[in-house]
Amino acid sequence: MSHAIELFREYMGTGLVVIWFLLSLVYLFLKEESKQIRILFVYVPVILLLLFFNPLFAGFLAEYMGDEIYYRILWLLPVTVVIAYTCVVIGNRLAGKKRILWAVGSVILAVVSGAYIYSNVYFARAENQYHVPDSVVGICDAIALPGREVTAVFPLEMIQYVRQYSPVVCMPYGREILVEGWNEWATQNELCEAMEAEVVDAALLGKLAKDYGCIYIVLESNREIKGNLTETGYEWFCEVNGYNVYRNAELITF
Amino acid sequence: MENMPLIMQSFILVLLLYGLPVTVGGSLSSMAREHGNGGRYSLPFLWISGQMILWAVFQLVCVPFVLLEKEFQQVVTVFAGVSAFLMVVGIVMFWRDRKSGFGVVTPGAVQVNCQWIVFGVLFVFQLVQAVRLAYGDGDDAYYVAVSTITEDAETMYRKLPYTGGSAEVDIRHGLAPFPIWIAFLARISGMKAVSVAHVAMPLMLIPMTYGIFYLLGKKLFIKRKKLLAPFMIMTEILVLFGDYSMYTMEHFMLARSRQGKAALGSIVLPMLLFMMLMLLDRLQEKKKLSVAYWGLLCSVMLTGCLCSTMGAFLLCLMVAITGLCAALTYRNWKVLIPMALCCIPCVCYMLLYVVS
Repeated sequence: MSHAIELFREYMGTGLVVIWFLLSLVYLFLKEESKQIRILFVYVPVILLLLFFNPLFAGFLAEYMGDEIYYRILWLLPVTVVIAYTCVVIGNRLAGKKRILWAVGSVILAVVSGAYIYSNVYFARAENQYHVPDSVVGICDAIALPGREVTAVFPLEMIQYVRQYSPVVCMPYGREILVEGWNEWATQNELCEAMEAEVVDAALLGKLAKDYGCIYIVLESNREIKGNLTETGYEWFCEVNGYNVYRNAELITF
Repeated sequence: MENMPLIMQSFILVLLLYGLPVTVGGSLSSMAREHGNGGRYSLPFLWISGQMILWAVFQLVCVPFVLLEKEFQQVVTVFAGVSAFLMVVGIVMFWRDRKSGFGVVTPGAVQVNCQWIVFGVLFVFQLVQAVRLAYGDGDDAYYVAVSTITEDAETMYRKLPYTGGSAEVDIRHGLAPFPIWIAFLARISGMKAVSVAHVAMPLMLIPMTYGIFYLLGKKLFIKRKKLLAPFMIMTEILVLFGDYSMYTMEHFMLARSRQGKAALGSIVLPMLLFMMLMLLDRLQEKKKLSVAYWGLLCSVMLTGCLCSTMGAFLLCLMVAITGLCAALTYRNWKVLIPMALCCIPCVCYMLLYVVS
């Protein structure tokens, strides 16, 4: 029950939109004449909410589906459709200036209660037709070898994009390392720690990268490096969009 | 195919995502006429129902190939063949049923037209933003990578998407092979799977969501047609300002359109709502539901399975609750039988998921 409440709270955000939805349910319960609409927009959502907060139901579902996706039951609540329908129906019952005021008020309320999707911090101007950073595209193209896969170690900010763009670039660790609790081994990965250290220890990084079979090491150009990667067998290969790529030619075997 | 000019690749995608579903939807032309204006065919209905049929068939074709660890090209060949057959069937059935032209736009007074212009501006704005902006979502590292790997390596769910390397077939994800459908589009069009996922998908799925809202609105305001445009504008505003948490359907619709769960939340579930409204209307009017209706409902259910393994459960839950409410309200228990039958494919996928 407490988990369901927690999920519902997270789903609601500020809670205002869900409040408008619940008020819409009440309005439709009192005023809607169409049986069909009452069933779909009032009775079904109420039953769904009762089920959502039912501990037996939640327990059963968590066992088979996993509790992290339990919130998706809330997708069955037709929040947008119900609020839009109620606003329009109420507006239609008004006349003249009242109707215009209601329409303007409804729009303002929706805007103020919600959050503008394109202001989300994870939206950024697309750099190319692939919607992955140019640096990833450039590096993957530069390190590709004909007819085979290559293993390369990338900085954390790039790893979620690499294999979306290039299926032939393999990595010693991927996105799972960023998600706490997914992979305990990965979060303790020594190579990752060497890559992300404040000052990169060239000898340690070179040794670990070689152990993991990485032909390439990708590092930001402005990273401070203690020692010289060349001494570990990795030579500077190219620079792409602010990233230095080092290559160990000995590891390229066919 | 990969060396084709971008314009040619885009043209093929337009045919695959718009032309093909409309022709396949021709097999439901009698239903499409019910949803058009003045007995004319509804183009949104033809398009959306045709795509639902194609998705359902893709689910039926793809999952056995995934489980049997077959090559991706076999899925491409079989699904392309079946799609061509469904297209011919759709064209023939549409030709037989043909009564008049398509009906899309509601003619009305100047005020109504102005409202539709507002809707159109907001709609185009969302499409432009979908191309212009990239949303960095961690889950893409799995779903989009699966599409890219499948298109390149011929294997389905047998490579580790995050890091590379071979693995046992990932049955749980393989039961909802929406990324493989994206790989199919990439293979046929020659466009890179990553571009299909990030650019082409929103350009299809966002219009489809509004297409479903349009169909829903038409049914809700069947006697008050002038309210349809304000309803559509209001839904757009609620969607645009629907990012009040990262779990909302609106967030998935505009930010993560290429993921199957986004298609589930913003297309399949609203479509199911529309189908349930149709069912309740028929019960209210004490009319029988056609075989075509049950076929389409089955397709919607299968599409839910294609999008997400959780989809099978959500759709069954919605059908069960609505069915029970309808049976109680209209004292019509017989309606539960075909509704339950439509849930059988979902139950099968759920069982496979649980035992896998």
